[in-house]
Amino acid sequence: MNTNNNVYTVVYTTVIVVVVAAILAFVSQSLKAKQDANEKAETISQMLTSAGYGTKAELDRLDNSAKLDKYAEEVEEAFIINLDGEKVRELEGITVYGPKDLKRQNYNIKGGANKTGEPEIPVFIFKNGRTVVPIYGAGLWGPIWGYISFNSDLTIGGAYFDHESETAGLGAKIKDDPSFQAEFVGEKAFFAESNVFDIVKGGAPRDAEGKSVVDNKIDAITGATMTSQGLDAAIDTWLAAYAKYFLGSEPACNKPCCGGESQDEPCEGNCEHHNEVEE
Amino acid sequence: MDAKLKETILNPIFKGNPITVLVLGICSSLAVTVTLKGALVMALSVIVVCGISSLILSLLRKTIPGRVRIIVQLVVVAMMVILVDQILKSFEATYAIDKQLSVYIGLIITNCIVMGRIEAFALGNKPWPSFLDGIANGAGYGLILIIVAFFRELLGSGTLFGVDILNRFGYVPNNLVILPPFALILLGCIVWVQRSIQKDLQE
Repeated sequence: MNTNNNVYTVVYTTVIVVVVAAILAFVSQSLKAKQDANEKAETISQMLTSAGYGTKAELDRLDNSAKLDKYAEEVEEAFIINLDGEKVRELEGITVYGPKDLKRQNYNIKGGANKTGEPEIPVFIFKNGRTVVPIYGAGLWGPIWGYISFNSDLTIGGAYFDHESETAGLGAKIKDDPSFQAEFVGEKAFFAESNVFDIVKGGAPRDAEGKSVVDNKIDAITGATMTSQGLDAAIDTWLAAYAKYFLGSEPACNKPCCGGESQDEPCEGNCEHHNEVEE
Repeated sequence: MDAKLKETILNPIFKGNPITVLVLGICSSLAVTVTLKGALVMALSVIVVCGISSLILSLLRKTIPGRVRIIVQLVVVAMMVILVDQILKSFEATYAIDKQLSVYIGLIITNCIVMGRIEAFALGNKPWPSFLDGIANGAGYGLILIIVAFFRELLGSGTLFGVDILNRFGYVPNNLVILPPFALILLGCIVWVQRSIQKDLQE
């Protein structure tokens, strides 16, 4: 058989590619349900990590159903809001927002050609008083996403980030380096400002003891400038989408603010930041 | 079992080891050897991919058009790699490992051992020896991976398979061992040991 003739070559490669594609499509379809279940459990363990129910490694020791049970037990309320901070609907059963759902909502928040509808962003309130919200954006090589939890005084209680294909040892530190995620704890998001949160190059402001001061700035990752910038942009975009929800739900501020110049005037809007400056 | 077949199986394990002698697959051996569990899953994945790709391509060897043979090899190896990745993602027990190995499972396709053995052996030999050659080369790769991972996990985290071994005696994990350069140092030591046993490799 002459295997070097052109027609044979074209037909042969076509057949091989079609057969391989068919096998892969079949396998992918038949395993999809199992993979989705794993992904859901993973998302739940990431949210629980962010909400402070243990480290990721501890939560990963639980099996899938135990993770789901723990979530069902600890979640107080889960609902969808719009960009005005109004509750649209409750989330039924154990519904979480993994990377695929977040991707769709990310397009909706940003608008443009890929927009499929009005943004519907989830809020998860846990029994320990923390509110978990997701973030999603582009890293250097692929999507990055994560979950940030806020205490009732709107300081950040915890954060967990994940990525699809950031460089191991550099960009992948957003997921693998617990000390990076720990930097978020105790920081604040300035919801009233355009720059809600900052991951800065060259060092975040620190006090005399070398501890990061309570503001909206943390250190970027050395050697992972693009991933850090991507994460910064993702956090800014998503927390800005939650701004009205958080500002609206804030307890009325009865402390004098804005440097104490207008003691008698009641505060308007977010006085978190100003009180901070005052201190 | 005849001598030639025995040689096919035993040669890649020690005398012609793909990592220490042929110096193939170095990149992934630095990346996935932080934990023994990761190294073990990676080793098994490479064994499966290498063995089955060699078998398939050896069966097809007389029909493959010479001018596109590399492309046909790539398609078959890519299929095997995706299958392995999909299967690892589907089981609860392996999902976390797959996440930990992240891109490196997908990058098995760029592992020179797989394509190298297909090109050098499977295309010129019968299916059964080709299959064994693939398995043996995967195993030779896996053996080095596991040796390196053993030392890196033991010294870098004080554990083996996640079970505490040294920490209970007050051992402080050495962070250098976790970093990829240490894997290169260990690999160098393994090559050193091997070449002092096997004098004919010395230049």
